[in-house]
Amino acid sequence: MRRMRARGFGVAAVAVLLLIGTTACGADSGDGGDVTITFAWWGSDGRANLTKQAVELFQKKNPTIKVQTSFSAYAAYWEKLATQTAGGKPPDVMNVDTRYLAEYGGRNVLADLNQGAGKAVSLADVNPELAATGVYQGKRYAVPWAQNTPAMLYDPAAFTAAGADPAKGLTWDQYADATAKVSAASGFAARGATDFGILDTPLEIWLRQQGKQFYTTDGKLGFSADDLRRYWQLASRFRDTKGASPADVTASYNTSPEQSPLGKKLTSSEFAYDNLLPAYRKANGKNLNVAPYPTGANGDLGQYRRPSMFLAVSARSQQQEAAAKLVDFFVNDAEAGKILGTDRGLAPNLKIRAQLSAGATGDDKTLYAYEAALEPKLGAAPPVPPKGAGAIQKLLQRTYEEIAFGRMGIDDAVTRFMSEADKSLA
Amino acid sequence: MTALRVPRTARSVGWHVLCLCGVAVVLYPLAWLAFASVKPPDEILSRLALLPSRFVFDGYSKGWEGAAGVGFGRFFLNSFLVAGLSVVANVLSCSLAAFAFARLRFRFRGALFAFMITTLMLPYHVTLIPQYVIFQQAGLVNTFVPLILPKLLATEAFFVFLIVQFMRGIPRELDEAATIDGCSVYRTFWHVVLPLSKPALVTTSIFTFIWTWNDFFTQMVYLNDTEKFTVPLGLRLFVDTSSQSDFGAMFAMSALALVPIVLFFLAFQRLLVEGVSTSGLKG
Amino acid sequence: MTTLRTPAPPRPAEPRAPRRGYRRKSQPEAFGFLTPWLLGAVALTVGPMVVSLYLAFTDYDMFTTPHWVGFGNFTHMFTDDDRYLRSVEVTLIYVLVSVPVKLAVSLGVALLLNTRRGTNGFYRAAFYAPSLLGASVAAALVWRALFTGGGPVNEVLAGFGWHTPSWVDDPNFSLASIVLLGVWQFGAPMVIFLAGLKQVPAELHEAAAIDGAGAFRRFRHITLPLLSPVIFFNLVMEAIHAFQAFTPAFVIGGGRGGPADADLFYTLYLFEVGFQDFRMGYASAMAWVLLVVIAIVTAIVFRTAKLWVFYEDRP
Repeated sequence: MRRMRARGFGVAAVAVLLLIGTTACGADSGDGGDVTITFAWWGSDGRANLTKQAVELFQKKNPTIKVQTSFSAYAAYWEKLATQTAGGKPPDVMNVDTRYLAEYGGRNVLADLNQGAGKAVSLADVNPELAATGVYQGKRYAVPWAQNTPAMLYDPAAFTAAGADPAKGLTWDQYADATAKVSAASGFAARGATDFGILDTPLEIWLRQQGKQFYTTDGKLGFSADDLRRYWQLASRFRDTKGASPADVTASYNTSPEQSPLGKKLTSSEFAYDNLLPAYRKANGKNLNVAPYPTGANGDLGQYRRPSMFLAVSARSQQQEAAAKLVDFFVNDAEAGKILGTDRGLAPNLKIRAQLSAGATGDDKTLYAYEAALEPKLGAAPPVPPKGAGAIQKLLQRTYEEIAFGRMGIDDAVTRFMSEADKSLA
Repeated sequence: MTALRVPRTARSVGWHVLCLCGVAVVLYPLAWLAFASVKPPDEILSRLALLPSRFVFDGYSKGWEGAAGVGFGRFFLNSFLVAGLSVVANVLSCSLAAFAFARLRFRFRGALFAFMITTLMLPYHVTLIPQYVIFQQAGLVNTFVPLILPKLLATEAFFVFLIVQFMRGIPRELDEAATIDGCSVYRTFWHVVLPLSKPALVTTSIFTFIWTWNDFFTQMVYLNDTEKFTVPLGLRLFVDTSSQSDFGAMFAMSALALVPIVLFFLAFQRLLVEGVSTSGLKG
Repeated sequence: MTTLRTPAPPRPAEPRAPRRGYRRKSQPEAFGFLTPWLLGAVALTVGPMVVSLYLAFTDYDMFTTPHWVGFGNFTHMFTDDDRYLRSVEVTLIYVLVSVPVKLAVSLGVALLLNTRRGTNGFYRAAFYAPSLLGASVAAALVWRALFTGGGPVNEVLAGFGWHTPSWVDDPNFSLASIVLLGVWQFGAPMVIFLAGLKQVPAELHEAAAIDGAGAFRRFRHITLPLLSPVIFFNLVMEAIHAFQAFTPAFVIGGGRGGPADADLFYTLYLFEVGFQDFRMGYASAMAWVLLVVIAIVTAIVFRTAKLWVFYEDRP
């Protein structure tokens, strides 16, 4: 039948393509009892090498489990995870940030590790307070992969020249003065600080220093418009004295150390996390140091034992046991802990942490020393941020940029932020 | 009216100078890219001069290692696969449809043709979301199928139109001669019209290849696994996960990404330019 | 004389005469040839359009069943969503600036090239090249590097004494850099203009020159009118493409709409809303608004065409 020819053509071609497509997908389970799980995380190449080494070790110890890995940069990771989840195939084991825990947990994307296969993940040696940060609405949606603390990374030489020693602890006023001096000393080419008006973590710490919180336990903003106004006024002070980065440098801020203003040597201090010290040192080239946040008049640090990131298992995973095994391996295996080092933060398993800190050298030693010194001053971790926290992180950045570029006054920006934040959290 | 008579040669030289200046400005970004890919990293942005102080080819080897654990070779392979299959699919389906519109009689031909022309102006976003849902329900997200299937079903009206216009220029007598010789419609298509439409088909192939090679949005929406990433996605991934000092690698890979297009362009530029101008005029 | 008013004799009643040129009924083979296209038209074009129209009135989010919200999405867009209005503003600015500039540049260069036969080919190809490369991620990355703080563009401007901030990081400049990227791709409309210019008979120009018309008058009264159908075509196609611009905005804006949402193109916001927040109902509504706007703009251009487009075959 000639009529069929043209149609047959099309059908055959579609069939061929489908075949190519499905084989390109990759098989979910191997042959003969072997199991394959997918595992995704965010970070840069350096972190990826370490992680893959650890995965190799896991596969050696568990010959029937194969792990397919993939990683991306932070922002791209979340885009990808969103599409994968919508497509019904999220990775079996995934990296989760505290800002997205409520969203993914609440959508039943993450498995409850208190039940079923998840029980294989032992948290016996993890600080209970830290472990509790992975619990949302009664379910353990994730376990902490590492612990870190928000910190100020700075160039000691520049600050000493300005007569300040952040490691000893500064007040916000002292910090403001010091950064202005640092900027002036470099002819305003390298500013004293990266403008922190765009960052949510400094805001959180600053609020905690005053006894307030970022989010309440029932998922709403824990601060008022007035609080935000004062925070942005504080940041603006740095801008006015040129102690902080100019608006266009601030706008180029990217969560990766290599591409941040401090990493590009455009500023001499930046609020980040202590575990990123090695990466910043490499990018910046100088011998950067780590210091606690500046404090208010009462000297309250406001910092806490923070889960730098979590590991979670997909609720839809076909290989829950294997996935849970991998998670348990990362948390509790001493060799894995050694391989991963401090790249993501301190090991959650206290025994492993003690082992590692005893033998630490170089950058790692600085880190362990820093955390040890800070330990007694750390407060309780805040409640899990609600759904929408990720959007609010971006909202804060966007809105402050309007202020920094002089397109909006602080009052208007605050009003805009508060109303949009309420919508995100609704 | 006697205008000031500038000597012929001076005018000619002046014209060439002007045009060359224009070309220099327009092609500067491409020249910059080529040189940036072989400059030492610290010179890339800091030196205004195009030429590097010394040639450094690390960028290529480092960039080739890829991003996020997947080599750039893989990205190129994927792009070639998608673009290649798209070309075959497009040429096949669009020529079939074009033949029907140009040569055959059927009910509603006029209306369907008008409909096809209107789809030229349709923003693809209007069909994007339901298409995504369809593919997601069929479990085809994260495969190449959603990228190629639309081409197989002649959804790109631009090429159907291009080929129709071309086919209309082929004398009907040839068709009739074939029919008299006993050819069925199919044979006439395959043995007479199609071969004579080669220029339009070649134009279709080249444009399909180039547009698919450059396509970022659709590939970003449908491809999730890094191993399946195509060159645009790989390039973007590379930028996100690399540091300031990797600029050389980034530009090396960007340059490589443009090479296939440049090659096609150099080989077929006359045809491409003709194709563009005829589609414009008869539109 | 009443013959003028005599109505034509009634047509004899006969079965409906076959249409001119049709000797047979529609060819059945046509169906075979059309199948892929028909399938595509129904399953991938018309079908999805209908579905997306439905979704535009729901709150579909891919995880739960859609609920009807009537015009809720549309009212939210225009009254309650600042980012949406910003994306409209950004896109409109982009279209209203880049399209005329691009057309002007392409026409100008085409005129320049047309004054001389011969080495046309080389220049034509050289100017056309960016059109093929410009829409790629690679080109956008290069552009981003060129316009970043400390990059070549700023260096050149500094040489003239103009100190500009990093274009891509400053909301007052980033959109301009994207417009320039769009204008850089003027080669395609230029080629079409060149072809159109070739069709302007040289005799007209010669005759006018003899009559004493200067170059500018000749341009205004001969070239422009005869070129108007081509201008029309280019205007429509470029406008439609400009409304849908995505890749340059995404790459140069750093994937998030640029500093302070300065590069938040409509398609970018649509992508964010639909594929990052998964508010598919809302995104569908946005897509339909885009369609309507493009249709209106096209219709306006078509309508006004009657006023300024001159077709040779019409009196």
